[in-house]
Amino acid sequence: VPCVSSGLPKPTNITFLSINMKNILQWNPPEGLHGAEITYTVQYFIYGQKKWLNKSECRNIHRTYCDLSDETSDYEHQYYAKVKAIWGMNCSKWAETGRFYPFLETQIGPPEVALTTDEKSISIVLTAPEKWKKNPEESSISMQQIYSNLKYNVSIYNTKSNRTWSQCVTNHTLVLSWLEPDTVYCVLVESLVPGPARLTRPSEKQCVSTLKDQTSELKVK
Amino acid sequence: RGLRTCLISTNLRLIEESFRGIKQAIQAKDTLQNVTILSPSETLHGMKALDVCCMTKNLLAFYVDRVFKDHQELDPRILRKISSIANSFLYMQKTLQQCQRLCHCRQEATNATRIIHDNYAQLEVRSAAIKSLGELDIFLAWIEKNHQGTSAA
Repeated sequence: VPCVSSGLPKPTNITFLSINMKNILQWNPPEGLHGAEITYTVQYFIYGQKKWLNKSECRNIHRTYCDLSDETSDYEHQYYAKVKAIWGMNCSKWAETGRFYPFLETQIGPPEVALTTDEKSISIVLTAPEKWKKNPEESSISMQQIYSNLKYNVSIYNTKSNRTWSQCVTNHTLVLSWLEPDTVYCVLVESLVPGPARLTRPSEKQCVSTLKDQTSELKVK
Repeated sequence: RGLRTCLISTNLRLIEESFRGIKQAIQAKDTLQNVTILSPSETLHGMKALDVCCMTKNLLAFYVDRVFKDHQELDPRILRKISSIANSFLYMQKTLQQCQRLCHCRQEATNATRIIHDNYAQLEVRSAAIKSLGELDIFLAWIEKNHQGTSAA
């Protein structure tokens, strides 16, 4: 039975949270209805197409988010989404997003970072993040394939001298040379794509120690 | 020999920033969600490197000679941003003029350009202009993708 569009307030702050093309629609409950048994229904629209489409898994849901990654997986298209609140027989008007353009708006997640050390150097190997995929069995698409100009901002912190420096690299391997032996260095990496500014998500900080200086060890003996 | 050899250098970041400042306001005024002007899947997405220069030239002319002229903007803040974008496009047109030899137009680019102009003509002119302005991010993303040497880092 369709609900009656009444004075029920709309959900607020409806936006897409997009990371590596995993596109989650999220919103806040309507104001002033704390404790009420509110449910939500979501629809989406492909810009330039003909009509709003239902997302069956997001009909009469209690949660305030809906995964629209599959429906918005063609990242070169643009989309709208909308959500309405339902309470008993009453429902709010639709709350609608602005035009969502995954290709320009998705956040590029951090790469995988592998570190190996030597006495005075650290080798860093980066693996580009993967695009969201529906099934784990599907073949992976690297975000590098979508953004061929993908770069990385590598930040390095010397815990002994408290000095931090960073380098912007395009290839996937980097050797930090002329380091101090027997010193702990911490590394953080962000993925960057030239173009409109986007939010970034740095990698987990990883710390490793350079090896002891073998030559000074021999002299001591 | 793609756009790289034609578009010497233009600061795409500045244009993108100007667009970002008006995107929400302009796209909100475009209420015809079921219609597009640029129709990227028919026009831009399949474009070969050989046709990039001509397509860029045609689209710059589309915006400079048609869209910016047809659009009437009352908000001075938005008007300033649009003017900044228009000036950048005029600059890009000048740089493209320096490589006429490399910028010849094949049927593919001509057909794609006609689709865009036909889409534009089917709408009331103010709506068409607003919609085209709202689709600038599609054009800018296409330039960025097809000419990575363009933007000053």
